[in-house]
Amino acid sequence: MRVELRNIHKYFGKNHANAGINLDIPSGTIQGILGENGAGKSTLMKILSGYFYADSGEIILDGKAITISSPSDAIKHGIGMLHQDPLDFPPMRLLDNFLLGREGGLFPDRKVVARDIQTLAAQFNFSLDPEAYVDTLTVGERQQLEILRLLWLGARVLILDEPTTGISASQKAKLFETLRTLAGQGKTIIFVSHKLEDVEVLCHKVAVLRSGQLIGESPVPFDHKKMVEMMFGKEISLGDRYPLNAGGKVLELKNLAVEDVRLHMEDIHLDLHGGEVIGLAGMEGSGQGPFIRACSGLLRPVNGRVQVNGHDLTGKSHHIFKRHGVSFLPASRMEEGLVPGLTLTEHFVLAEKTQGVFIDHAKGTKLAEERITSFNIRGTPVSTVESLSGGNQQRALLALLQTPLSLILLEHPTRGLDIESTIYIWSKLKERCKQGTSIIFVSSDLEEILQYSDRVMVFFSGKVTPPLDVATLTTEKLGQLIGGSGWNNLNSGKSL
Amino acid sequence: MNRHNLLKVMGLLMIFTMVLAACGTPTAAPTQAPEQTEAPAATEAATEAAVTEAPAEPFTFGILLVGAHNDQGWSQAHYDAGQYVEQNIPGSKMLYLENVYSGSPSYPGQTASQLAEQLVSQGAKMIIFNSDDMKDEALKFAQAHPDIYVLGPSMDWTWKDGKNYQESPNQIDIMGRMEYGKMMAGCAAALTTKTGQIGYLGPLINDETRRLASSAYLGAKYCWTNILGKNAADLKFKVTWIGFWFNIPGVTSDPSQVADDFFNSGYDVVLSGIDTTEALVEAKKMHDAGKDTFAVAYDSPGNCDVAPDVCLGVPYFNWGPSYVATIKSAMDGTWKEGFQWNAPDWADINNKDTSAVGFAKGQGLSADASANLDKFIAELAGGLNLWTGPISLQDGTVYIADGAVATDQEIWYLPQLLEGMEGQSVSQ
Amino acid sequence: MKKNVWVNIGFQAGALVLALLITTLILAAAGAPPLKAYGSILNGAFGSSNNIVAVLITWAPLLLTTVGVLITFSAGLWNIGVEGQMTLGAIFATWMLRMLQDTNLPPALIIILGILWGMVGGALWASLAGALKTFGGVNEIFGGLGLNFVSTALTIYLVFGPWKRPGVGSMSGTQPFNEALWLPTLGTGLSPWGLGLSILAVILVYLLLRGTYFGLRLKAVGKNMKASYLLGIPTWQYSMFAFLLCGALAGLAGAIQVESVYHRLLPNISNGYGFLGLLVAMLINYQAIWVIPIALFFAALNVGSVQLQIVYKMDSSFAGVLQDLLVLLVLLGQGVRERFLGKA
Ligand SMILES: Nc1ncnc2c1ncn2[C@@H]1O[C@H](COP(=O)(O)OP(=O)(O)OP(=O)(O)O)[C@@H](O)[C@H]1O
Ligand SMILES: [Mg+2]
Repeated sequence: MRVELRNIHKYFGKNHANAGINLDIPSGTIQGILGENGAGKSTLMKILSGYFYADSGEIILDGKAITISSPSDAIKHGIGMLHQDPLDFPPMRLLDNFLLGREGGLFPDRKVVARDIQTLAAQFNFSLDPEAYVDTLTVGERQQLEILRLLWLGARVLILDEPTTGISASQKAKLFETLRTLAGQGKTIIFVSHKLEDVEVLCHKVAVLRSGQLIGESPVPFDHKKMVEMMFGKEISLGDRYPLNAGGKVLELKNLAVEDVRLHMEDIHLDLHGGEVIGLAGMEGSGQGPFIRACSGLLRPVNGRVQVNGHDLTGKSHHIFKRHGVSFLPASRMEEGLVPGLTLTEHFVLAEKTQGVFIDHAKGTKLAEERITSFNIRGTPVSTVESLSGGNQQRALLALLQTPLSLILLEHPTRGLDIESTIYIWSKLKERCKQGTSIIFVSSDLEEILQYSDRVMVFFSGKVTPPLDVATLTTEKLGQLIGGSGWNNLNSGKSL
Repeated sequence: MNRHNLLKVMGLLMIFTMVLAACGTPTAAPTQAPEQTEAPAATEAATEAAVTEAPAEPFTFGILLVGAHNDQGWSQAHYDAGQYVEQNIPGSKMLYLENVYSGSPSYPGQTASQLAEQLVSQGAKMIIFNSDDMKDEALKFAQAHPDIYVLGPSMDWTWKDGKNYQESPNQIDIMGRMEYGKMMAGCAAALTTKTGQIGYLGPLINDETRRLASSAYLGAKYCWTNILGKNAADLKFKVTWIGFWFNIPGVTSDPSQVADDFFNSGYDVVLSGIDTTEALVEAKKMHDAGKDTFAVAYDSPGNCDVAPDVCLGVPYFNWGPSYVATIKSAMDGTWKEGFQWNAPDWADINNKDTSAVGFAKGQGLSADASANLDKFIAELAGGLNLWTGPISLQDGTVYIADGAVATDQEIWYLPQLLEGMEGQSVSQ
Repeated sequence: MKKNVWVNIGFQAGALVLALLITTLILAAAGAPPLKAYGSILNGAFGSSNNIVAVLITWAPLLLTTVGVLITFSAGLWNIGVEGQMTLGAIFATWMLRMLQDTNLPPALIIILGILWGMVGGALWASLAGALKTFGGVNEIFGGLGLNFVSTALTIYLVFGPWKRPGVGSMSGTQPFNEALWLPTLGTGLSPWGLGLSILAVILVYLLLRGTYFGLRLKAVGKNMKASYLLGIPTWQYSMFAFLLCGALAGLAGAIQVESVYHRLLPNISNGYGFLGLLVAMLINYQAIWVIPIALFFAALNVGSVQLQIVYKMDSSFAGVLQDLLVLLVLLGQGVRERFLGKA
């Protein structure tokens, strides 16, 4: 299906989020959309998929101008969107989640639908159980679920807003293959991403947005440097590796055993020193989540000890951990990290130590302004967090971290951040490391892990490697370990 | 929509239904419609007629009805009396509010005296508080409003010889001597029962209701022994109280249930002591199912119409004449505060213009029983006084000595049910 | 931002106009000339000093239940149990007064103890709903409903049982207190103390929700429990606090009812004030600043519409219908706004 966008405008108050965008996507095309955080990518996609009305402009499908009044209307026109932040996930079964979106049929045949799900899932190597509950899924699995659901609902235009952050390299390859097949069948794919590599291998052509405007289009392949310049209006260079100068023991895990409904991990030992960064690699759902939660007191270990700065905090609540300088930022930022409906100022005030009974609003605003500047958040002190772009939400989340801290636990700290912000945020985090703060972070981006970690722990279905010195690792080796091979001849990293 | 939203919507729905339920009138809602269209027309016609025909200063009076104006019981008797006044005093006009009782959901947080103010603001010069439930409020209002006349049916504030006398010069308290009516009711029941078991569907427990239930028992016992010549010990007379003048779902016992329980446990005649008609309705249901069940209604003369076949009769109040007299006295300045306890007009207890209390026989009463009842009424008219000793209370203490005649105070303030009656004298 | 506020107000006003239109039709259908009918409502509410007093008497408890549920709403809780909490406030106040009325303590002290004890009663009852929710996983809507029923049953038991008037068994209520223990009143029963406390409560709750850390945290807990916990807020404790505060305010309302309006305990003492408070809270979109006028409007409607019954023989449910309609349409308006203007 051919999609044409004509002169699309969208204002949020004074904020001109889409300023006259024209785009022509012939059917069978995989269209890449690139742009810095807050460029207006999601807004444009939401207009196309019926979540927002454009203030002006036209949407033309196969030569016919249409109006799209709602997401369900969009899917009737064959447009389905996979959101950057899947918002609403009720405690219901996958199967019911599927059934909800479909019209007609008071008594759907659950068996048939369950089989559909399984067939579809098999195509992508997704292991989704139709009877599982949606709220037990990881962010990555939810994204998988959404892709399947939209295809099942008959989407002919598939919009994917940063879909690759949650899935493993092999799953990604499989996904890309499928998207190519779908494109081959004449379906139109719109692929929003910050990852130049992904866009380059997948897409047929690329459009770049900046500050609400279409800066230009480019065929694939393209010159990375030039592309980055187009996106940011300036050149960007990767930050340097910082040398590690480790301090005293911040976190000690002894003989730790952790489990959740699906996994059981045991015998985990770790001595984490001040200033050190540990990356947790592995496929989504391989145990990183329970592990990092056990380190923050959110999950009670079934065995072993957790010590923070020499204090035994085993079995203590997260709030006690917090008091000892441990902070945790979750992956699902809108569900666990931020409070929709509250403004940036309110968030910063909440995260600060309280002073007295009454809130000093002037002071709060000043604090918010400071943080907004220093974390380069596109928003105002009174912006509610849900009105921020995905990347800016992530910046806001990082801006909530207090100083000083002994240990920062992060899940996908740069998910959804553009290259510039990724570099910027890590430079901020590394600054903290210099002051003695340690970091443990989960990421599905191997480059990020290798770039920023001092040591790496790899997770594979309930097994954990000992911390491996990053110098001994390469992308290939890490990829193997994540896939479950090469575990027999591990030489554990030098223990600190 | 996620689970939380779903619950919110459910919650909202619940609130709406509850508010609506709270606002809805609990009784007699369905039967209201036809009355509604008629009543105002009648009222207006009366007023208009008054304006054109009579030069007299218009006199507006307001009634606070404890139940619905068409409850076919206590409140309707007052409402009908109000219409009687409108017909008989040119220029008079009735205003009313119904379902006025403590905690009534029709008037959240508003007390009877506040509602009386609303009537006054429509020009009412006299307020009738028609229930003992508004007793305190009536006095409070009377004392706060020396310029407004107050009528307190069933109250005793202005009874100089009563226990609760209060100075309240703008107030008259009125009651009919329903003891006689209840005796007739009891008699009709005794003449009809085959099982010898009579149930009394009681409202709440207080002096008035003990007095009336006991009078019914005295009437029943007299006719059982003196007319039928049976043994007093073979007569069972049981009172079950529901807790208020009418059914308030969730608060009182359900009168239909109480009546059913009577009928299902061998009681074949139920006397109603409450404001509404459940006893008749249930008796009819049982009757239609093949049982030999009857009921005696209460309060309002047309009451038997609800279920004529099973109705033995109805002792009723006829407030009209006393209302007319009081209002006239207020209009012409001959008002005299005090307490009136009005007896039937023995010449014709069913005379609309003279008798305060009457008894209308129902179709359920056999010819035989009817004749015997007439005989009993004639005896009463001739001076028979059943409140003559020996009368003992339920706990066995002698209340009226042998041969002595009970005083008005002894009857009015009866502290317990009588010996021979089953049921609570005070609530437990 | 500014624009949104006006759009909001526009929708609210639209809903109001629509509600008025529909009620006008209802009035006309019931045979009451609408303009005159509205006139008589106004007259019934504000036509005389006595009527104004009646409005203020019903306003006070409505203020309390409304700001009470605003607190629980802030914490994301649907405290339908507010009705029962008010009832328990009434029961506890009555209990204290009955216990002390024959002692030599100064009446003023007894009255104050009664009020405080009423607040404790309401808070305790609310904490039950809270405990059921936090520790038993029972949704507060169902827990609250259940507790409402229990509170009614308890009142009836007390009124017909241990606290009955001597020699009487009627739902008319318990034996009235000694007159010395009645809250002093003006006119036909307006207690300046009750009203003053209610207005004070509104101001305090407004400040609490707007300007304090407590209020902000409560709001955060209400909007996102998980994130609030990670932000360091003791979440279940805050939910519980919300219940306790709401319960105490509802209990205060109950205590004021028995001490200044009825001078005794009677069934249905809460009189639907709790549910009405929930409605007001929804109508004002949980903005504490609007409590004062809107609750006054509802109270005036309740009192004023009595005139419709007197003059036009209309059913007493009219005020309730109008109130429900308003809330329904305003909520509908919000839905429409969100759909067409985005969730901005
Ligand atoms: N609902 C909203 N209300 C107000 N402003 C909004 C809303 N949604 C988006 N915006 C603003 O519009 C601009 C574009 O946001 P958009 O989400 O389209 O960015 P994006 O290109 O998807 O960025 P990212 O890569 O961070 O996801 C941002 O400045 C954002 O704050
Ligand atoms: Mg985006």
